[in-house]
Amino acid sequence: MSSIDLDIRIVPPREKHPTIFKTFDALAPGEGFTLINDHDPAPLRHQFDATRGGQFGWTYVERGPVVWRVLIEKSR
Amino acid sequence: MPLALSSLAAPGLTLAERELACRRRGLDGQELALERGTDLAAVRASGARVLAVRAGALGDPAELAAASARLGAPVSVAADAVAPEALPGLARVFARAGGRLLIGRPTDLAAVAALAGALDALGPAGDAAALGIAWELRPSTERLADAGAVVFAAGPHLGVVRLHGGGPEQRAQDGRGVGAVLRELALARYAGPIVLCPSEPAQLPAWEAWLRAEPRVRCGDRGARRIDLDVRDVEPRDRLDTILGAYRALEPGATLHLTVDHDPVCMAYTLEATEPAGSFEFRTVEDGPEVWRAEVTRR
Repeated sequence: MSSIDLDIRIVPPREKHPTIFKTFDALAPGEGFTLINDHDPAPLRHQFDATRGGQFGWTYVERGPVVWRVLIEKSR
Repeated sequence: MPLALSSLAAPGLTLAERELACRRRGLDGQELALERGTDLAAVRASGARVLAVRAGALGDPAELAAASARLGAPVSVAADAVAPEALPGLARVFARAGGRLLIGRPTDLAAVAALAGALDALGPAGDAAALGIAWELRPSTERLADAGAVVFAAGPHLGVVRLHGGGPEQRAQDGRGVGAVLRELALARYAGPIVLCPSEPAQLPAWEAWLRAEPRVRCGDRGARRIDLDVRDVEPRDRLDTILGAYRALEPGATLHLTVDHDPVCMAYTLEATEPAGSFEFRTVEDGPEVWRAEVTRR
């Protein structure tokens, strides 16, 4: 089965974070998705820490300079 | 889910120039709109990453099937180019050539479901896989409320999503539901390409500027008393550095007045994580739904 890829680069600004959190919330525990972005999504990680602390894994798969990929997993 | 730039977005650029623009933008490849006399050997020799092919009309199906096979990418045609009764014959032609034909459909659940049903009816034989659906997604004019159902109805037949917009048109399409479409595609584990193309020819100058734009970071002058910063015109990739640069240029007691087109709560969390505790005060003074304003005072 192929992976869940969410390319947030083509999502307009005010829809970006809601789209990401809704995708995360739809995952089953142990599932993950790869977020693709055109900058380091560090602010998002801080928002995850604040709102879903301890419930997620965050692994950089690619760190720029043009494209960032982060595997975001829902903890079991 | 690779991202591709349609050659229709940059008709003035050569194949090689488009390839360079794609790499600078981090796009994974191109959609090549075939023109009379397109030299397929030259396209292949150029090293350009062709992820999808576009044909204005079906023309000679065998020729189109050969082009698809030669370029190793599916070819899409407009919605009205293919009559339902032609599907079995086209499936044979494309399967024999080793190509794939994707038939356009708008964001219309009934139209997508009907085509998916017709493709299912071709049976499980190998030929059927040579046909599929090209979703022509137009956020500026279509209602996207059915997007999840469209993704489900298209199922494994969905071979390409052609997004009429994105790029420089993204802000104008904010709030139209593109995010929900991407979420549905991701959760359905869609792995095909998404092609960015202009919604209308009048947008071409904006696309050209977007493709040529260099990343930039603006920082405030150090020791500023007040900084007004509207990042709506700053590309997302440059925003964090721009905002942090402006914040760090504030002298103690001064305030950054920030205007953004999304909930700035992520900035508050970022400052909490990166700046010393108690060193700033963050207030949201206008809370959407289209414009948000925040004031950040440095203590």
